Amino acid sequence: MIDDAPPAGFLRIDFDRGRPEPTFNSHIGNLYVRKGEKDTRDEFVMGFRVHRHMCNPAGGLHGGMMMTVADLVGSMGGTTLIGLRKFVPTVNMTFDFVAPAKVGDWIEGRCEVVRATRSLLFSNIYLTVGEEKIVRASGIYKIPSGDGQAFGKARLDRGAEVTAKSSTT
Amino acid sequence: MPIPPGFRELTEAIGFASANGPWFEKIENGRLIRGFLPGPRHANSLGIVHGGMLAAFLDSAMGSTVFHTLQRRCVTLRLSLDYLTPGRVGDWLQAEAEVMGHDEQVAQVRGRLYGPRRDVLGALGSFSLLSRLRPPITPATTRSQL
Repeated sequence: MIDDAPPAGFLRIDFDRGRPEPTFNSHIGNLYVRKGEKDTRDEFVMGFRVHRHMCNPAGGLHGGMMMTVADLVGSMGGTTLIGLRKFVPTVNMTFDFVAPAKVGDWIEGRCEVVRATRSLLFSNIYLTVGEEKIVRASGIYKIPSGDGQAFGKARLDRGAEVTAKSSTT
Repeated sequence: MPIPPGFRELTEAIGFASANGPWFEKIENGRLIRGFLPGPRHANSLGIVHGGMLAAFLDSAMGSTVFHTLQRRCVTLRLSLDYLTPGRVGDWLQAEAEVMGHDEQVAQVRGRLYGPRRDVLGALGSFSLLSRLRPPITPATTRSQL
């Protein structure tokens, strides 16, 4: 069993606070987010460590895992970049699988908002290992009218940080 | 809900496919059909089946259809997905695909994932055909894309 050992600044996303059973986002493995300076390419970065249970029989990262994470980067990242806190259902995703990844690799996902209209969000997504791109994806997401559905229960697991903050307020 | 008749479980699946299974398969009139029964661990925070899960399942069915049709193992080059309606937890979902055309290197494939009432996901993909000479990936399976 390998350790996730996320690089500095990455916090695990807790998708399932208080749920009796894990949902898909938790079931597939730990996902992390690092938030950087506004308007830089690192404003929203999702990351995860490749484990064997995310792989295909050849020992490479499964396309299904790449697609799942790219979809999340486009929706969570895209809404973060435009300052929207709503669940945005996916309308279309297109993926190009340009290179493989293997067990032990640390994968990062970044997105660029191409355009946000009142009802649609268009984003470009790259997954990378170090400097190498492994997936190029483009996503179209529906922005619900009105308040839409809440973004769910996903929170960054700040651990001690949260405890310290809540004890002072 | 019981598994519909004629389906066998893909017990040879390992890694991602087995961690997110069980997945089922049958051959009907020479066509390959995949099925699975989504549970809570396949769902997102809204309680509908996660788009990534649907994508993984249909991609796999499309790659397997290439193997079934052309007897060539393959890897996905490009996949474009249209999310048509939500997939519901507890509904039996099926996937079918068709090889629209191919040359020595690449196959063009159309895929469809549907529930008991309507289509859930439509797909168009390009699959890179692996060398005929290359040995199977693992002893456990000769099938691609499990």
